[in-house]
Amino acid sequence: MADLFDALPGLEVPVGAIAKSLASLWDDAASSGKPAPTVEDSRATQINLVLHLGLNTTFEDAKTQFETAAHFAMRYPSRVVVLCPLQEDDKSTTMRAKVYGECAIGKSKQDKRCCEFVILSYPRSFRQYLESEVSICISSDLPLYYWPHRFSANANLADYRYLLTKAKRILIDSSTSPREALSYPWPKPEAVRDLASARLLHVRQAIGQFLSRYSPQTLTDNLTGVSVEHGEKLMAEGYALLAWAKDRILACGSNQADFSVKERAHSPELFLSLRFTYSNSQSFVWTADLKIGHSHFEADFKTAKTSLDAAAKLLKPEDSLSEAMFF
Amino acid sequence: MAENQRHPFLQGLSKHRGAPPTVVVIFGASGDLTTRKLIPAVYNLSFDNLLPADFYLVGFGRSTITDDAFRTIASDAIKEFSRRDLQADVWKRISNHTTYVSGNYDDKKAFERLAEHIAKIEKNLGREVQPLFYISTPPSVFESIIINLGTSGLASKYLGQPHHAKVVIEKPFGRDLDSARALNTTIRAHFEEHQVYRIDHYLGKETVQDLLVQRFANSIFEPLWNRNFIESVQITVAESVGVESRAGYYEQSGCLRDMIQNHTMQLLALTAMEPPVSLDAEAVRDEKVKVLRAIQPLNVQEGGDVARAQYAAGMIGGLPVGGYLQEPGVDPKSGTETYAAIRLSINNWRWQGVPFYLRSGKRFARRVTEIAVQFRRPPGTLFAQNKNLDLAANTLTFQIQPDEGLSLILNGKIPGLETRTQPVKMNFRYATTFGSNTPEAYERLVLDAMIGDGTLFIRGDEAETSWKLYTPVLEHWKAQGQKGMDSYASGSWGPKSADALLASQNHTWREP
Repeated sequence: MADLFDALPGLEVPVGAIAKSLASLWDDAASSGKPAPTVEDSRATQINLVLHLGLNTTFEDAKTQFETAAHFAMRYPSRVVVLCPLQEDDKSTTMRAKVYGECAIGKSKQDKRCCEFVILSYPRSFRQYLESEVSICISSDLPLYYWPHRFSANANLADYRYLLTKAKRILIDSSTSPREALSYPWPKPEAVRDLASARLLHVRQAIGQFLSRYSPQTLTDNLTGVSVEHGEKLMAEGYALLAWAKDRILACGSNQADFSVKERAHSPELFLSLRFTYSNSQSFVWTADLKIGHSHFEADFKTAKTSLDAAAKLLKPEDSLSEAMFF
Repeated sequence: MAENQRHPFLQGLSKHRGAPPTVVVIFGASGDLTTRKLIPAVYNLSFDNLLPADFYLVGFGRSTITDDAFRTIASDAIKEFSRRDLQADVWKRISNHTTYVSGNYDDKKAFERLAEHIAKIEKNLGREVQPLFYISTPPSVFESIIINLGTSGLASKYLGQPHHAKVVIEKPFGRDLDSARALNTTIRAHFEEHQVYRIDHYLGKETVQDLLVQRFANSIFEPLWNRNFIESVQITVAESVGVESRAGYYEQSGCLRDMIQNHTMQLLALTAMEPPVSLDAEAVRDEKVKVLRAIQPLNVQEGGDVARAQYAAGMIGGLPVGGYLQEPGVDPKSGTETYAAIRLSINNWRWQGVPFYLRSGKRFARRVTEIAVQFRRPPGTLFAQNKNLDLAANTLTFQIQPDEGLSLILNGKIPGLETRTQPVKMNFRYATTFGSNTPEAYERLVLDAMIGDGTLFIRGDEAETSWKLYTPVLEHWKAQGQKGMDSYASGSWGPKSADALLASQNHTWREP
């Protein structure tokens, strides 16, 4: 994990000089000709985002999540605090900090947004001080979102209780966390959101729009089964889709159907399907290859057979973050 | 609609992600608005995955062109006017469902062909689709289209069901009170009010919608939003361009019809209305109508509540430009105003005694649309003795365009041992905070009409109330011809005569 901290971008600074270093960060950028905010409002922080890189995070993975946070922060100007806990057996006795800033220039000269990162590395013994350190890195009167990436140790929840309690949303990705992570005893279970489910926004929307043209009774009368099949890389999304479909079917007033999810062999890796099975001649099936962004509906609800192509894609990681945070 | 009243498969999705299967029929398919705004709006909605898979676009116009020719017009429009570049896969989704029907707007048979065309789409799809008729034609054919939609049965299609037919009508909605009433009568003969979406694209702008949020989601403003704390309100809709190639239209219209009666009145209504009981369309529009009805009739005589002028020669962007009367297509004796300023009084408990100043025009020093709410000056007891103290009136400005955002003028202390004050400005800018690539007004409005949300559209009585206020002004100006018409230099902030509207209360026009 020490390597991870060293490898993430940024300038190492004394922990006690984070705020001062962030301010001078832009001076250095401006003097070297890089985009930098010239007025305070370019740095308008609207959100605090804590990206917690769990102990199982690899270097490449960390870089990917860091870039996702940066893309997100360009859309919603944020103060991002990246937590890099050290392994349990690491003998380090110090907390280390880095600061990093990035600006993006949009279509107009006014459209310049900048984000600031503070990266903290710390041994287990320092977790008791983390609350104070993070509190001076964030803008405490603005909402805080906590993104524990590959957070896999239920037992460590207590170390982060303050931040988790303060967080408006806690963002778990069930594709990279243990399946049970969603049901850990989080301090605010109602704040937990699954990024796998957020990624399916367009899928839920397409299916929802299609099925909403039929009455709940039409959809659930004689319904015997609801099944999801997924490709190799979409197991988490498969479970999320089934959970959503089950929830919606129950909201339609039916609790008679069987619900199942399974991997489909020899399918495209981003394959996903949802099928309703009926005891009569009604049918509904939606299939998609999310890699090519294509899906297809086949439905027969007695009135007429419908066959329809539709676009379907997963949300980009940064859009999944905003979807899970704000909706 | 409450969340639990929505279809279970739409619950949890934002309302804008729940548009039903829809066929949008654009009347005036090759017109300027269609190519500049509507088709790019449809494209961007598809880009953002906000359209249903079973979305269809049908162009209807007098030109006899093929489906492919219309698709080419559409793709060219996207390439030229969309905020995003044309992306093949997104365009393919739309173009596969894009067709064209030719016919005259007064030809009933053409509308029967249109009805068959829509029925064929439904048959091929195997489902019913919501028809949304978008009238983007010159106003001279509005009535023909509405009547033919009625007699062909298209207007009443699926009436009583959520996916019933809807009609969007572009401005101008009438030329005066009589014509607006006549148009409403025609519409009501064929459509129910809840099917009608009269568009004012200003209402689709993010900052205009933000006005409601700022007013009603922040507890610091509403207690001050009344005659006890507010000195005056200025609403400016200024263009820096002249009439350009639109002299023919503008000569018949003028600034009052083109801008004041619709856009500025909408801004006024949102600024001055009482808090609605909900954000439901009818609740918001009820409050808008109530405040419009509380406006005192205007004194149209000289020295009254109105001023008008035409732009004269001047300088724009460092280049000399001619005056309105020298523009090609303009009658040298024209009595059409390119500038109008109005002083309004709202006779209700909240606003009694607070003047609302509205102005709009062409060839202003710069293009800007803003609402400036000027608060009363603080009592000067503490700082009045010192001439070095310059206490500014607190002013909250909603800048609608460009540089969308919000600013507040406060008084601050200049650093130093002495107590000196200076006005300081606090800014919030959309582009800085959220980026400038936000949806265009038409994207929002087209989608709102598809999902049946009329909040950002104008109700019939709202349009009539506004015309009722301004028709006497129009009649007076028409009778006066050029008499009493002032002028102002191109590139300035308007005529001197408009200053008189503010002078009696020691107010001055802003130069934003």
